[in-house]
Amino acid sequence: MTDEPWPTLPTPAGAEPRPATDGRCPTCTYPVTGYAVFCEGCGAPLLPTQAPPEPAPATGSARTRPLGAKKEGTPEPARTCAECGGAVGDDGYCQTCGVLAPAPRDRLEAAPAPWVAGVSDRGVVHHRNEDALALRVAEGRVVLVVCDGVSTSVDSDVASLAAAGRAADCLLQTGDLVRAAAEANEAVVATTAADSPNAASATFAAAVLEGAGLRFATLGDSRVYWVGESDAALLSVDDSVAQAYIENGIARAEAEEMHQAHAITRWLGRDAPDVVPRIGQRTLTATGWVVVCSDGLWNYASEPAALAEQVRAALESSEGPLAAARTLVAWANAEGGKDNVTVALARFEPSAAPSGPAPDDTGAAATLDSPVAARSER
Amino acid sequence: MAEFSSAVYQNEYLPDGGTDVNAIVTIVCKGAGAAGQTGSGDAGEIIIVDTSGSMGQVNMNAAKQAAMVALDHILDGTWFAVVAGNHKAYLAYPMVQTGAGMVRMDARTRAEARRAISFFRADGGTAMGTWLNLARALFASVGPLANRHAILLTDGENHNETEAQLDQAIAAAVGQFQVDCRGVGVDWQVPQIRKIAQALLGTVDIIGNPNQLGPVFAELMRASMARGVANAELRVWIPQGAQVQFVRQVSPTVEDLTHRGTPVNQLTMSYPTGSWGDEDRDYHLSIRLAAKSIGQEQLAARVQLAVGAELLTQGLVKARWSADTNLTAQINPEVAHYTGQTELALVIQEGLAAKASGDEATATTKLGRAVQLATETGNAEATAKLRKVVDITDAPTGTVRLKQAVDKADVMALDTASTKTTRIRG
Repeated sequence: MTDEPWPTLPTPAGAEPRPATDGRCPTCTYPVTGYAVFCEGCGAPLLPTQAPPEPAPATGSARTRPLGAKKEGTPEPARTCAECGGAVGDDGYCQTCGVLAPAPRDRLEAAPAPWVAGVSDRGVVHHRNEDALALRVAEGRVVLVVCDGVSTSVDSDVASLAAAGRAADCLLQTGDLVRAAAEANEAVVATTAADSPNAASATFAAAVLEGAGLRFATLGDSRVYWVGESDAALLSVDDSVAQAYIENGIARAEAEEMHQAHAITRWLGRDAPDVVPRIGQRTLTATGWVVVCSDGLWNYASEPAALAEQVRAALESSEGPLAAARTLVAWANAEGGKDNVTVALARFEPSAAPSGPAPDDTGAAATLDSPVAARSER
Repeated sequence: MAEFSSAVYQNEYLPDGGTDVNAIVTIVCKGAGAAGQTGSGDAGEIIIVDTSGSMGQVNMNAAKQAAMVALDHILDGTWFAVVAGNHKAYLAYPMVQTGAGMVRMDARTRAEARRAISFFRADGGTAMGTWLNLARALFASVGPLANRHAILLTDGENHNETEAQLDQAIAAAVGQFQVDCRGVGVDWQVPQIRKIAQALLGTVDIIGNPNQLGPVFAELMRASMARGVANAELRVWIPQGAQVQFVRQVSPTVEDLTHRGTPVNQLTMSYPTGSWGDEDRDYHLSIRLAAKSIGQEQLAARVQLAVGAELLTQGLVKARWSADTNLTAQINPEVAHYTGQTELALVIQEGLAAKASGDEATATTKLGRAVQLATETGNAEATAKLRKVVDITDAPTGTVRLKQAVDKADVMALDTASTKTTRIRG
């Protein structure tokens, strides 16, 4: 039946499909593949002897390629699901169990030297982390900066991160607190769209430790505390409604509970009245810790003694300042975590100046810089 | 290049212990281009015309005219063939004895095909399985084509082969080509033709008046040639331990895809959607998850449209467990709407089947429910078609009486249109 004409093609009740023999059609000996269902030569039905090939070389990675991301470029570091250990997809959800992975911006950690560390966390209630921190260590100088993005403004998470990084770099190079605040303000304004109806804004708290000399500056309600082994002090003064009440003679505990107490009166941002920080200094004489934090932490321990108690407990139960900072954040979250929580710690020892050389620690600083870099690529 | 986008409509909030997530995923295709013209491969079209004796002179002449009109709408360069079918299948055009059973459309082949069609004569019986088998062999004879589409016109029951033979032919054609089926007159079986169209990702409709054949064929061919995206698949990823309860296309028509999936990997199934033009389609997914604690959020499904290895769009279906009953008690309006539309299609088909078997009580109940659902979901077309089959006493409660004298064409029109849905937006 060679050259079976098309118009009378066999019906299924007619010719039964037959397998190819030696790669050729059993009817016309035309070469055929093992998975062909018809002979390309004569059209006779064939019984396939092997499975058809995949329609396209669809590898696992090709299937999970991010939509619209066809360019070869710097791959995002692979993230692992905290729940099941599966890979986190580009959409932020685990590719195995579907659990939402926290965004990298939701938690920042830094430990540029063994005696300097900090953690910034989203907290429990807020849906993103608008706090930021930046820590720098160089020969003879430790810099701690915390900025708290104001949550009513647009993109304040981006603004606070930019501000903290810029201020810390400025302080590392110049040590000039007023200039650092001005540069941080520039960074906030630069992230604000020209037509933004609600300009990004952030608080500013910075501490510079040089030998036994501690200098600090604040705008808004992020704070600088000193926690010694037996003493403790709130060094900075808030720019807040509560502070205004306190200056009018109302006790701190009471003032901080009053109407609009948490409203800040000064900040960084395009609509800031002025960006000259309140500045202070202190010469340290005994061993202890410089603590810079956002209100997400001190809301649960505003009085210096209360905060010091938590800091000392965290340091005692943890190995090193990074672990202690994590413990403090976990404590604030356990207390309710109503705001973003950020805390930075730097140890001072009078005998062996802590702000010694730290050439090896520049690598650790990269963990701080990476979120900034990631942001600027967006 | 076609651009796809997607949108997800759902209430992602689940109560404590809640496990079932329902979502409507709308996928929109824009800039699809013309079939065979987008650089992703050639297109092939086969026109299959019933030439059985029952067609008679009137229907046969109308069918010949319609087939010629369809030729006019096949773009030049498209591979095509014309099949004449009765109890056997005949390749009417191209007039080749062996080799490729399709040719490229140009002015000359179009004229030759018209002449071949003009010789059609109504004679013999009906065996649609043979028609599908020939079409499949013809597509296979020209090698890889991106789009493979056929129009099948019939007028009668499939007398000259067994149901098993037809099923076998349908099964062999699945994934090979798409078929839009049209029935002329009232002597064909809606479920039989619907079976072909559903399996082969096409549509089914009745053409009551032979004069309508030309315009219908023109529209079918125009629509097919405008489907520049071939062989797209719906991919559904679910988390480990979850279950797909169902996946349905719910607009423009209801098509249950649940059991048509093939695994892509352990957590992802792929469902065929055929070719796409510039259009929107809605899918209803129901996913069962293991319950998580209050406050937790997780992904219930990733719904993607893929062509080959390329993902073109992705919609995320989410689940969030909440203690707030104001959030968890709400039923998403799109989900509610399409749940109603799916039931509407089912009760119309069940009601008509009961009516055909003489079970008037069941028919009245089912068609009454259909009237109620069509009213609730604002499906005016279904209501209008139901009105020709039942007298409506009270639509909101679904109180109806079966009409005593019903035009069979109206029953068949209600049946074929049962799966057509309306949308809600805004």
